[in-house]
Amino acid sequence: MEALERALEWAEENLKAEYIELRYEDLRKTTLGLKDGVFTSFTGKLHRGVAIRVLADGAWGFASTSDLSNLEKKIEEAYKLARAAAQTKKEKIQLAEIEPVQDFVESKMRIKPREVDIGEKVGHLRELERLLKEDKAVKSVQIRYEDGGGRKILLTNEGTEIEWDYNYLYQGTYVTGKADGKLAMVRDSIGSVDYGWELMTEREPNEKVARRLLRKMHSQLKGVAPKRGEWPIVAGPIVVGIIAHEALGHLAEADLTINSPFKDLIGKQIAPEYVTMSERIVEGGFGNDRYDDEGVPVKDIHIIENGILKEIMLNREYAHKWGMEPNGHARAESYRYPPIIRMRNTVFEPGDHSFEELIEDIKFGYYVVDFRGGQAQLNSAFQVGIQEGYVIRNGEIAEPIRDTSITGVAIEALKKISAVGKDFGLEVGFCGKGQIAFVSSGGPHMRFDGGILIG
Amino acid sequence: MENLLRYAEKFFDEVEIALYRSREVSTSVELNEISMASTRSEAITIIRGIKDKRLGLAIVDSDEPERVKGAIEQAAKMAELNSRDENWVSLPEPGKYREAPKPNYELKEASPDTLVEKLVKAIALAREKDPHAVVAGGAGGVSWEERHIVNSHGIDVFQEGGAAYMYLELVGRKGEVVTPGIFDFDGRRDLNLDVEGIVERAVQKVKWAYSVKASRNEEVPVILGPWAIAGLFSYALLPAFSGERLVKGTTPLLGKVGEKIASDVITLYDDPFHPLSLEPVIADGEGVPTRKNVLIENGTFRGFVWDNYWAKVYGTESTGNGKRDLRSGGINIGFHNVVIENGKRSLEELIGEIERGYFVDGFQGAHSSNPDNGNFAVTANPAFLIEDGEVKGASVFLVAGNVYGLLQQASEVTKEQTVMPFMNTMTTPHIKFEGVRIAGK
Repeated sequence: MEALERALEWAEENLKAEYIELRYEDLRKTTLGLKDGVFTSFTGKLHRGVAIRVLADGAWGFASTSDLSNLEKKIEEAYKLARAAAQTKKEKIQLAEIEPVQDFVESKMRIKPREVDIGEKVGHLRELERLLKEDKAVKSVQIRYEDGGGRKILLTNEGTEIEWDYNYLYQGTYVTGKADGKLAMVRDSIGSVDYGWELMTEREPNEKVARRLLRKMHSQLKGVAPKRGEWPIVAGPIVVGIIAHEALGHLAEADLTINSPFKDLIGKQIAPEYVTMSERIVEGGFGNDRYDDEGVPVKDIHIIENGILKEIMLNREYAHKWGMEPNGHARAESYRYPPIIRMRNTVFEPGDHSFEELIEDIKFGYYVVDFRGGQAQLNSAFQVGIQEGYVIRNGEIAEPIRDTSITGVAIEALKKISAVGKDFGLEVGFCGKGQIAFVSSGGPHMRFDGGILIG
Repeated sequence: MENLLRYAEKFFDEVEIALYRSREVSTSVELNEISMASTRSEAITIIRGIKDKRLGLAIVDSDEPERVKGAIEQAAKMAELNSRDENWVSLPEPGKYREAPKPNYELKEASPDTLVEKLVKAIALAREKDPHAVVAGGAGGVSWEERHIVNSHGIDVFQEGGAAYMYLELVGRKGEVVTPGIFDFDGRRDLNLDVEGIVERAVQKVKWAYSVKASRNEEVPVILGPWAIAGLFSYALLPAFSGERLVKGTTPLLGKVGEKIASDVITLYDDPFHPLSLEPVIADGEGVPTRKNVLIENGTFRGFVWDNYWAKVYGTESTGNGKRDLRSGGINIGFHNVVIENGKRSLEELIGEIERGYFVDGFQGAHSSNPDNGNFAVTANPAFLIEDGEVKGASVFLVAGNVYGLLQQASEVTKEQTVMPFMNTMTTPHIKFEGVRIAGK
């Protein structure tokens, strides 16, 4: 801490920068990779370094280093980079004003992963593998577990001084099954920044995770090919979540909004009035935090409120550009990266229909439950691979469908939402936008009468 | 390193130390302007030690001997806690390395000013060629890496080298039409990035995209571009060549060596020494010599690729395809530079012969493909409609099928070859496939 403060003081005195930000991390991580009985990674990681971001002459310079010996020189390097970038800049970057914060962010975890004996972690993974392999159709199991914890400090020349007791854990499981010459691959992920080891033992015990994976695998193995076309579709929380994230959420990231159809739609009705989509703190949300990596408090926002496109995600630079308040969405993967505008937890809000009401008058359609991979374009065209889905026939859930995908243009599909369920579900995952971020997405069951093509 | 290796040997039966030192300068573009100039310098040391058949790994963001010693102790602790892996045989032995191409030292000292200059030129050129286009994003970068791998069996290999890259993302807005993000890219082992070429190709695609054409359900010839091929093959095809999947019985290529799995025009191999390769490595992530491994020769499947571990489990030798995972420290089977051999005629000539068909620049959703059986369902976007030998406009459609079925439909590969540093770096021509069933929208 002292070295950081000293370096910052030196930079304030010696460089003509508008803004200087130092973000230090010192984390210990554990990565366990269990592949069919063998731990292929069994790794302890010592992760320490500093990210330096300098705004000078209206342009950004960034330097990251794992060598802490001469921070002054590194700040100067970032400063020089900013000056180099500034030479060509017509529009100078400015930052929205914020109130500097001094705070210590405590972890909410009951049992921090670093306090758990590694033997227990190993036992837990092996048990999950055993439970899965009790099913004769399971050919291969791969489990990736990672946890991390330690200190993160943010210091700026504006007086922000935040320290986090930062902790997380994550488990991704991939199962390959085989039956009657057919192969199927399914995945599952759990993780948290607020629940500690209790996530693994109480909220998502192995039995529950295994049941979920085996259900998905068997639905794939027994699945029939769907009839290609535009049918009524009921999408479960995980699938509406990925649409919220991929096809709509990215359009509401201010740096991307500018080139997306959302740019001209703010303030306009883009969905029925019973549709609300938020970016907010959610219980168990993988994107939860009190401050972002610019020291801005994280605020809940409604991207779509009662069908109207309302708010977008901002960092300080874009908040100034748009004349809005920053809302805490500047996030960096690690000290190796500068913060960029990212989602946290993107969710559709529940409505008032029961699941039975959503499907009861569907003569023929599909119920899509879980996905494997999703992607979207800036025009909100999306493609989501489906790893669990069923036929809906005469108002009832019928046979499963196999490997397929759904596609559509989300801003068109939004208009076709005919009913919103009253339940709510969430899935955790990673979002890649040049950097990896922990995110969640979810919502209630929702019905689309058109707008989504399956097969 | 010698001293550290001696220190590490006290804790393990056999041990490997891999040191990666890297420096990257990069400059990024947002909305027609340079948005940031960055530099990243780091050292990462990875310890992989085995004691009594128990594996322990540790990673530390440093090359300082004291911190590396700390990581060695951490790895030893991890090994103590791990369970025995009865399949473990040994770390690799030294081998004979090919002679490496001489590294280009101008990349080691590259300054961000060079990149700023090239990007500013690219932005101006793109705006001049198409005033309706916005350079929505882009970046230029130069990376330099030094790798030193030593192990207790005598492997001691040092390599260094770098690469430069630049990409642009253009979005065109004309009337009601907003084009999808159109990308183009160049990557090479010197600083002569093809700025004009990137801009020209991107602007051409934006121009095509201003005219939006509906697609319909049909069976037509489809030409896939390098980006689409790299995306689809990385997820749906390449994992099937892994020896690990052979051992576990999860590759659809099980028992198919010598069989025809693609049409005659497809020859595919992994070779870090191909002239366009961005990383001409002489040794893989665990110090085993790299080589050219032919996977498909004129349509016939020739064999799998291996790292040290799975090769020894199976009773064969490593093909030099152990890739270091810098996140977990472990070694996975991977590729250095997957090459699809090129053909004789140009893309233009191929397009000229198509009465009705499509040219696909990129696929969305390739990562939802299933490598266990080769099934995929992807959206072609950006994609372009070809009629009477000419590109008529942009279109979006769905292709669902099986990659092995698709490989049989390949009818020609183009003369031009492009390197795509996707998930696996691929050097590939455009490929034409006949009778591809597409679902229009």
